[in-house]
Amino acid sequence: QVHRLRSVDNLFVVVQEFKDYQFKENKEDALKDLEDLVKKLPWTDPLKVWELNNSLKKKKTKRKKHNLQSPASRGKLSDGGEEGGADQNNTNEQEDCAQNPVAVEPTGGQDTENAQGVASRNGVEEEEDNEQSDVKAEVQASSESGAKAGDGQTGEGEAKVLRFRVTCNRAGDKHSFTSNEAARDFGGAVQEHFQWKADMTNFDVEVLLNIHNNEVVVGIALTEESLHRRNITHFGPTTLRSTLAYGMLRLCDPKPTDIIVDPMCGTGAIPIEGAAEWPHCYHIAGDNNPQAVKRAANNISSLLRKNESKDSSTALGVPLDVIQWDICRLPLRTGSVDIVVTDMPFGKRIGSKKKNWDLYPACLMEMGRICTPGTGRAVLLTQDKKCFAKALSRVGHIWRRAQTVWVNVGGLHAAVYLLRRTSERAEEARPFW
Amino acid sequence: MKLLTHNLLSSHVPGLRPGAGFPLRIELGHPSELPPEPSPGYEADEEFLRRLHHVLLEVEVLEGSLQCPDSGRRFPISRGVPNLLLSEDEA
Repeated sequence: QVHRLRSVDNLFVVVQEFKDYQFKENKEDALKDLEDLVKKLPWTDPLKVWELNNSLKKKKTKRKKHNLQSPASRGKLSDGGEEGGADQNNTNEQEDCAQNPVAVEPTGGQDTENAQGVASRNGVEEEEDNEQSDVKAEVQASSESGAKAGDGQTGEGEAKVLRFRVTCNRAGDKHSFTSNEAARDFGGAVQEHFQWKADMTNFDVEVLLNIHNNEVVVGIALTEESLHRRNITHFGPTTLRSTLAYGMLRLCDPKPTDIIVDPMCGTGAIPIEGAAEWPHCYHIAGDNNPQAVKRAANNISSLLRKNESKDSSTALGVPLDVIQWDICRLPLRTGSVDIVVTDMPFGKRIGSKKKNWDLYPACLMEMGRICTPGTGRAVLLTQDKKCFAKALSRVGHIWRRAQTVWVNVGGLHAAVYLLRRTSERAEEARPFW
Repeated sequence: MKLLTHNLLSSHVPGLRPGAGFPLRIELGHPSELPPEPSPGYEADEEFLRRLHHVLLEVEVLEGSLQCPDSGRRFPISRGVPNLLLSEDEA
């Protein structure tokens, strides 16, 4: 189930977390401490979880051609957090398993051997964190969905020489060592302790050493590549991560039969994620740029093909359409849309800050017109917060700011604004722009 | 373009009378399989609902055009995507 969380980039199981780790000032001493740490860490249970995760992954690849609702894909890993199970509306999964062994943390997708001075946490900051200092993984054999049976899994008794690597993500300016050095020395100690083989490319176990100032988290990775590229095959210059798109859609709280529009869709990341996860809503994507429209249409075709291979009985249409239009002059009926969700041009790669001064107010007005008074809402992502605030102040009679979430998008500090449509009706006749 | 989307579209050619932009006329030679008005008690008519669902969500206009009922201006639909951009002079 944790694997099906849609707003998570990477998954790893926490071996141990240190909230306030005191690094020695001297580099050698600090590194020696890390090496010594290896022997003292509670590896057994996290490794069990890692094994379990592996058997699930094997089942998944074997069953790629079959219905994804197979029991094997419902792991024994329990919900990753309060918000984890919220969107499994079409499955009746039992809430089994005791403790939650997995810490869900949105970390950067790439291997960061080089540290950055600034915290490099991509994703929404209000993501749930289930960090625990001790990991308890209770594998309930009775209701086991066959994850371990008949798979030729190595039992725990067998001594298998695993290959591993250590990835260190370090952020903070007071450390006396680099992430490379930490990874190297920690890795050395891991090798001695387990007698595993170090292999940078062909590894079984990826050990994570995440250091953020005085917080140290040691973990074992459960995902291979960041999950943020799902659903999109054709990328554009500023394609939004699917995980971020998912987060934004959740913020709108879509209800079945809601009409959800992205009037500046680009490659369509948001509506595509929407149609995949909220199939009982109707999603419309639009953009003025012909390239973007083409890419969005291509991404949708890819999604349709993916759906077809999954379920051969009925190739149902995806509740998603693409239109080429101008955001300032939307060809949509007044009050016909429930939700507007979009990634507004930051003014960096697309458009310009100067253009934003005119664009933002015009957008907000048009979005206000098409949105249903009273119940409508908008979730807008932008980095140009100043311009947005100014534009919003001019449309206070139509939009009320309900919530702001700070996000890091490719290193830029951006914000996601949740707006609620007031009850005031918009004019039918459009003012001339 | 699906029929449900068409239900939300309205012509935005400047200078139209209020409300006159809807509905856009779909131009292609495809006859509708539905009666023009839903018969009373249609909520319970499973067969009708099935056909309605099919027509709204599973039939796509791939090539054709949408015509503004007031101004007559045509907007092309190509490869399933309607282009509703106005030209510089129109806007």
